[in-house]
Amino acid sequence: MMDTTEVNSPDSPAWQALTEHAQAMRGKHLADLFAVDATRFARMHREAGPLLLDLSKQRIEEQTLQLLLQMARDKGLESWIARLFSGERVNCSEDRAAMHWALRLPADADCTIDGADVTAQVHAELTRMGEIVDKMRDGQWRGATGEVITDVVNIGVGGSDLGPLMMSEALTDSRKRTASPLRVHFASTMDGSQMSQLLGNMSPHSTLFVISSKSFSTIDTLSNAETARHWLERGLGEREGLLDCHFMGVSSAADKMTEWGIAKANQMKLWDWVGGRYSLWSAIGLPVALNIGMQGFHELLAGAYEMDVHFRSAPWEDNLPVLMAMVGVWNTNILGINAHAILPYDGRMKELPNYLEQLEMESNGKSVTRSGEKVKWATCPIVWGNVGPNAQHAFFQLLHQGTEAVTCDFIMPARRYLEKRHNAAATELAAQHELALANCLAQSRLLALGDAALENAESMSADKRYRGNQPSSTLLLDELTPRSMGALIALYEHKVFVQSVIWDINPFDQWGVEMGKKIAVDTLARLRGEACGETDGSTAGLVERILRG
Amino acid sequence: MHLDVYGDTLGAMVSAGALASSGNQVQLHLSDATLVGRLAAGECPYREPGLADLLTEQRGAGRLHLTTTDVAPADESAVIWLALSPDLLDEAHEILRSLPTQPRRDWLVVNQSTFPVGSTEALQTSLEMMDADSATAGAVVSLPDLLTEGAALQGFMRADHWLLGTDVPLAQRLVYELLRPFNRRRDAVMMMTPREAEFTKLAINGMLATRLSYMNDMANLADTLNVDVDRVRQGMGADKRIGEAYLYPGCGFGGLSFSRDVMSLASTLQTSGLQAQLLDEVLHINERQKEALFRKLWQHYGTHLPGRKVAMWGVAFKPESSRIDNAPALRLLEALWAQGVEVHVHDPRALPALAEWAGERDDLILHDDPYAAAREADALMLVTEWKAYWSPDLARLKAVMNEPLLLDGRNIWDPTFMKDNGFTYYGIGRR
Repeated sequence: MMDTTEVNSPDSPAWQALTEHAQAMRGKHLADLFAVDATRFARMHREAGPLLLDLSKQRIEEQTLQLLLQMARDKGLESWIARLFSGERVNCSEDRAAMHWALRLPADADCTIDGADVTAQVHAELTRMGEIVDKMRDGQWRGATGEVITDVVNIGVGGSDLGPLMMSEALTDSRKRTASPLRVHFASTMDGSQMSQLLGNMSPHSTLFVISSKSFSTIDTLSNAETARHWLERGLGEREGLLDCHFMGVSSAADKMTEWGIAKANQMKLWDWVGGRYSLWSAIGLPVALNIGMQGFHELLAGAYEMDVHFRSAPWEDNLPVLMAMVGVWNTNILGINAHAILPYDGRMKELPNYLEQLEMESNGKSVTRSGEKVKWATCPIVWGNVGPNAQHAFFQLLHQGTEAVTCDFIMPARRYLEKRHNAAATELAAQHELALANCLAQSRLLALGDAALENAESMSADKRYRGNQPSSTLLLDELTPRSMGALIALYEHKVFVQSVIWDINPFDQWGVEMGKKIAVDTLARLRGEACGETDGSTAGLVERILRG
Repeated sequence: MHLDVYGDTLGAMVSAGALASSGNQVQLHLSDATLVGRLAAGECPYREPGLADLLTEQRGAGRLHLTTTDVAPADESAVIWLALSPDLLDEAHEILRSLPTQPRRDWLVVNQSTFPVGSTEALQTSLEMMDADSATAGAVVSLPDLLTEGAALQGFMRADHWLLGTDVPLAQRLVYELLRPFNRRRDAVMMMTPREAEFTKLAINGMLATRLSYMNDMANLADTLNVDVDRVRQGMGADKRIGEAYLYPGCGFGGLSFSRDVMSLASTLQTSGLQAQLLDEVLHINERQKEALFRKLWQHYGTHLPGRKVAMWGVAFKPESSRIDNAPALRLLEALWAQGVEVHVHDPRALPALAEWAGERDDLILHDDPYAAAREADALMLVTEWKAYWSPDLARLKAVMNEPLLLDGRNIWDPTFMKDNGFTYYGIGRR
């Protein structure tokens, strides 16, 4: 762990000013800040499209925000935003652009990079995706024996799994009925846990696999895909059209897809300039589109595009991604809080914490600057979370009374259960939604205010008291729809980017996840009793125990 | 008695003709004036033995009058006989709601239509609302249509049994009076509540559908076991406990009586939320069976169908019908189109309905001549077993087709004979 002097390393006047400001703020409890100012919420919340961001429960004042924005200016954020959106190769270690934003450009947007009409490329691919989605949703995609495909298994891991899975779950109320049943499943783990469960319950005649892998060389995914292929061959025999009818590929490596046996017509394209954890908006999002239809998928893209426009054009004082990012910097680098909890108060967003763990920690879990120096400040905090009401029964004890300071994002839709399908039970369900909303508001209030939220706190014993002063942000979605989810995820993407600029790190590579895979190759040889080099005592001991059976 | 029969169905025409023949004054209300004209010209839409003659005779005798639905019943009439198509429940309500309130009379409404269970009770409510100020003693009874095609007149005039659903004694007496001339040998009327009568009809249709889906399931197994299902069918039918009826495998059944709307118990079971499990599965198997010919074609051509031409003989949901409701042909067409296949269709009567359903499109060509439809085709699908298709001119057919491939969805051709004539033949469970 870094010592505090390093964390607060003053490498600019802005850092210095913030550190001094923090000294002045030190004695101010959130309860005091609210007590002296009835207009705090009015001053400390911002809205953009379907989202409202409430920062009033953060340990900040208006001056804090001004100083933070000054720091962003000093760090050249403006030019970094311009570089990101001009298609410059901001992923320096891999010499690639990061143009996930281009995936959600409207069809009439003008975007030419290095002579290529990116909008046209993206929309050509969206059109192809739309044709495939419509055919499947119409019940007209056929297996090798002519049966209608009723089960689609997305085989992918990391960005090829978390994004589509999270979004499919979140938009469960936006699912549109299909002509014949169409169920979408996800298989990610290399140990085959999900595959083994799925294969037992599906018919090979009516199952299609989507192999999603940007590089098409991810061992987790390819091993699941091999299992799927053999399962199909066993069930249907080696027959004409087997691969053509039952496999689809999404990758940037067309030749590798072809080599594996994916028909050209079933290959969907990904570009080098999209990172895996930013690829939900491309054909990687196919499972989402299969669930909610292509119209819904376009609404999702439109919601994200709205956020892109907001990020690029809104003044920073009102700019949701910039404000969220800079408050995060304040918490991490100035207040020294190194844990951040994601708490959606809506069961449909149960995969959101997992998704954001990857987005934030794989992007900003770095300790080397863009110029190759070791950083002198803390970067990405530990991010984790769960559906809020369930987390209340798990780790909220620590949030309220533990020794660690933790920041939280509370996320919830204001309105719910308005869809027709809930008609019969709408009244009871709406009451449950109110209950969840009330809990969300109560928990963030108690975290912020501590004893001040209680009556007669002084009369209680020490173990029943709440110290409060745990900062949190609340993100209120108008309603959970494709549009608001698009905006929400784009908001986090841009927040992560802004923080990477402040921390001077490259958020678009992930070298830390490469070497383990390589070592696993040697270890596999060892486990299979093949000759291999030296290893450490622990590994050797464990391998020996496993081999003993 | 004076009575008013509503509907274009076979049941409507048989009932109207039979009731007129026993001396009643019958006004038959048809859906449109064209149909009235055709029937008036002696043209009967159903080729039911004796029906056309009976209708002409009764009109000649002055006891049967043809008119349209919007014409009100005569002042003397107090009996409304509903024999509407299953999709016209709303219209049934509308007919009752717009009955004349003057002169005052106690209406007897006989519902012979195949509507969802509970509809007769709902119609009773509509009848009561019609004349809200004065409490009429009108009653709606259920008298399900149990006619067998080909023996429909006989089935009415010498019925083995009737199911009469009512709990109003006066209504029961009136129906008995109407049926008296056809109910002489013994009392063939079985009394029950309206709901029970409707449910019995549903259960009968459900059982017939179950037999068909069961046989289709057997036929698909026969395909994989290299067994000829036709011999199996005959063997099963010879068993008296089973009998021969409704054992013919095929490429699925259609028609409104077997539609999910009618078979569904949802309207009456909303509160308990129960569904008929077997019936649901039967209908599901049937929907799948409608694509049986497509799957055979798909496999025959190794999953590559774009650019192929397919001829289709018969699109009506059954022979002698001009209707295509829930017809297997519709699902087949959608499946073929989705794969980029051009379909050439012949049907003696259902082409107008098909054209209306499909709209203008490049991959559907309608033909008046079956051999023109088969020209240059890569396959011929027989979907509806019109009599004229049973013995085609094979030499001519083979000469005009691009590939001599026959997909027989009704097992009307002999596999060996077709193979001897140079065709590749696929039936439903045939070998």
